[in-house]
Amino acid sequence: MWSEEQKCLLWLSSAEVSADRVHSLLEKYGSAQEIWEAFGTAGRPIFSPRTSEILGKWHSRDALEDLIDRLQRQRVHVLFQKDALYPELLNAIDDPPYLLYYMGDLKGLVRPMVAVVGTRIPSRYGKEMAFSIAQGLADVGVGVVSGLARGIDSSAHEGALKAQGVTIAVLGSGLNVCYPPEKGPLLRAIVEGGGLALSEYPLDAEPVNYHFPHRNRVIAGLSHGLVFVEGKVQSGGMTTVFLALKQGREVFAVPGQVGTSGSEGPHAILREGARLVTCAGDILEDLSITLAPSQSRPGAMSSESPTEEAILSALGREAMGLDALCKTVGVSEDEMIAQLSVMEITGQVVREAGNVFRLSLLR
Amino acid sequence: MLAHTLSCGLEGVHGFVVDVEAFLSNGLPGFDLVGLPSAAVKESRDRIRAALLVSGFSWPFQKMTINLAPADIRKEGTSFELAIAIALLAAEKPEEYHDLDKTLLLGELSLEGKLMPIHGALGMVITATGHGIARVILPRQNAREVACITGIDVYPAENLLQVIDHLNGKEHLNRQVPVSYEGLLKERVIRHDMKYVKGQAIARKALEVAAAGGHNLLMVGIPGSGKTMLARCLPGILPPMSYEEALETTLIHSASGELGEDEGLITERPFRSPHHNISMPAMIGGGGRVRPGEVSLAHNGVLFLDELPEFQRPTLESLRQPLEDGCVYIKRVASKASYQSRCMLVAGMNPCPCGNHGSRVKQCRCTPAEINRYMGKISGPLLDRMDMQVEMDAVSIQEIEGTGEQEDSATVQTRVWKARLRQQERYRNEAYFCNAHLPQEAIERHCRMDDQAKALLHQAVERFHISMRAYARIRKVAKTIADLAERDIINAQDMAQAIRFRNAEGLLGR
Repeated sequence: MWSEEQKCLLWLSSAEVSADRVHSLLEKYGSAQEIWEAFGTAGRPIFSPRTSEILGKWHSRDALEDLIDRLQRQRVHVLFQKDALYPELLNAIDDPPYLLYYMGDLKGLVRPMVAVVGTRIPSRYGKEMAFSIAQGLADVGVGVVSGLARGIDSSAHEGALKAQGVTIAVLGSGLNVCYPPEKGPLLRAIVEGGGLALSEYPLDAEPVNYHFPHRNRVIAGLSHGLVFVEGKVQSGGMTTVFLALKQGREVFAVPGQVGTSGSEGPHAILREGARLVTCAGDILEDLSITLAPSQSRPGAMSSESPTEEAILSALGREAMGLDALCKTVGVSEDEMIAQLSVMEITGQVVREAGNVFRLSLLR
Repeated sequence: MLAHTLSCGLEGVHGFVVDVEAFLSNGLPGFDLVGLPSAAVKESRDRIRAALLVSGFSWPFQKMTINLAPADIRKEGTSFELAIAIALLAAEKPEEYHDLDKTLLLGELSLEGKLMPIHGALGMVITATGHGIARVILPRQNAREVACITGIDVYPAENLLQVIDHLNGKEHLNRQVPVSYEGLLKERVIRHDMKYVKGQAIARKALEVAAAGGHNLLMVGIPGSGKTMLARCLPGILPPMSYEEALETTLIHSASGELGEDEGLITERPFRSPHHNISMPAMIGGGGRVRPGEVSLAHNGVLFLDELPEFQRPTLESLRQPLEDGCVYIKRVASKASYQSRCMLVAGMNPCPCGNHGSRVKQCRCTPAEINRYMGKISGPLLDRMDMQVEMDAVSIQEIEGTGEQEDSATVQTRVWKARLRQQERYRNEAYFCNAHLPQEAIERHCRMDDQAKALLHQAVERFHISMRAYARIRKVAKTIADLAERDIINAQDMAQAIRFRNAEGLLGR
């Protein structure tokens, strides 16, 4: 059952009244019900004309009941700031959302959580790092928080799902609007896999650009630590990093190759003192989360033939093209093509664009 | 009063014998040309008149009727002019001209009486031999083209006077000495040799496999990585053309006027690389006066489509039937033609719209949506025709500077030839002749693999989500690799390589 106070907060949310605005109003009026009354009697000057117009549309009991009905039909629930299950960590930030729409199981929130964020145009390396770190974290029961964007975010969600763990997608749009649109199946998989889809925006809110930086504070706020995988110095991932620092969260960065644009961001924050991570274990260690036995660092390799071993050790030093690899290992091109193809099938080696081969991070 | 000579018209790539009759009679002086002549043929009147006058003859002050029989086929082109001029002269003085019923006369006339080269001479001469015509007089520029044809005496001529002197026995033309096809083959030089292609081991191997099995190949790589250069090497590693193949190809080139002056039989497999703004008729053939398109000009050779996604979708789609049937049928209201089009399709494309994906120097700036759109342009039916796909190495200059020369084309060609012979032997009782054309039901029978290869393929199917269609293609390619290694049963190494060259259906290592 919905209390009057909750209904009034829902009413404020329907016009996307921002969290800090609501907090200051609550200070002034005492409760959301008072704001409701004041809006009815004192008129509208409390809000901007545009907001007032939308609030006016919803300013009736019937309209709100319809809205609640609709939420129930679509299995969208609402978590209020006053609720017992509202994450403490999130509550501690400057302007916590006064309510969160969610789909999925709230139990997902009761666990340590780590955010994995980064660029929407990642390198293959970045995607694999995000995937394997998320997989490692989820494997020991850590929730993986990210933003459902293309690139690193999606890889993080997918990694967690691969480990059948809990992952939380914080959207910059309403829960009815899947953005990016092609991530619909991923979103469903997250919800059905025991994870959560969260948004502080009303059901049909469009993914407008100013939502995303605002949304990022929730990603950081939900998590104990934040892993920045790839991104430029000027990027959404970096704003999340700064928000996390402001909120006093641990910030981790995955190092990349010097000279590629995706490594700029992580390297910049590493210089500023972020923790360097190469695998999920590093994060768990730093956050003092006990390691479950299934977790193992990459690096241990098992191989069969001497050629395979030679290829693995050569690629262990650096990624290289076929010609260089033939020279190092000393086999014919013909044999090398076949051998690399086999190793690709068994998942030991990955081919990048331009036929550069390197060790797979997901072995 | 009445005389007739022999000439030839062109339908498709083949000639048809035309009886040119000239009748001079009393009446109002004039020149009538009948027998469905096209505009170009009608225009010949003025050229013939000038040529006769300049050569020292008079223009008959009589009523002249010229008939081109059979009268129900439309006559195109300029090949009749010499025959008409001679017919007019012979109608005035029948006793001076000999053997006109056994001599084919081909050639266009210039105003000063010179013989000009014509299109389709090869097809016409071949038709003439079939009709028992003993000799042919044609422009000197067309002589080399027909030099390999036996069973007919070829007399090249420079101008109208020479022809007249020859026909009335004053001064005979020199008969052209026939050339053997083997002799022509020896003159052949490989213009683009594989030994100059640096690095690119994977792509070079892919090219060899494609050549050996007749597989269509898609090359993906950043600009400047050598896609075009490699593709140009393909004619040089395919087996040399047989005499019949050379005839077929030259016929098409001759009919379309692509054959240069003084060019003989085409001995090198054609390499056609049309620009991507090509129209559909130019690609498959057509036009008001039907002509062969690029796909036919590439017959027995290679059709290379660089920047594949830039081609217009309908143009690409129109290629499907010609590639499958090896023949284009073109029908227009007024004409029809069929041209052979059995060629290998090789295509090149960038990995993304900006072209820098995978480059070691430049950063790709394309969004996933842009890349999807780019890939989407070639999706579906056309990609289905690509058996193999290979990504080019992003070679850096330091890497290639140290390397010496690679294997040359001649060595590769020997292996390819052997593999082709194995296939011809195996499929001697079938309608197909190379692995690429194996129908679905024959794959199980011909592409046998050992247990290790089978296990590997199944593992790959699982890992890369390979479709049924791609599965069949991989087996065909693996069979070709086994043929190259002279193995009867596909082993694990063949299979591994074939999987490397699989058509990734737009995934492209992403």
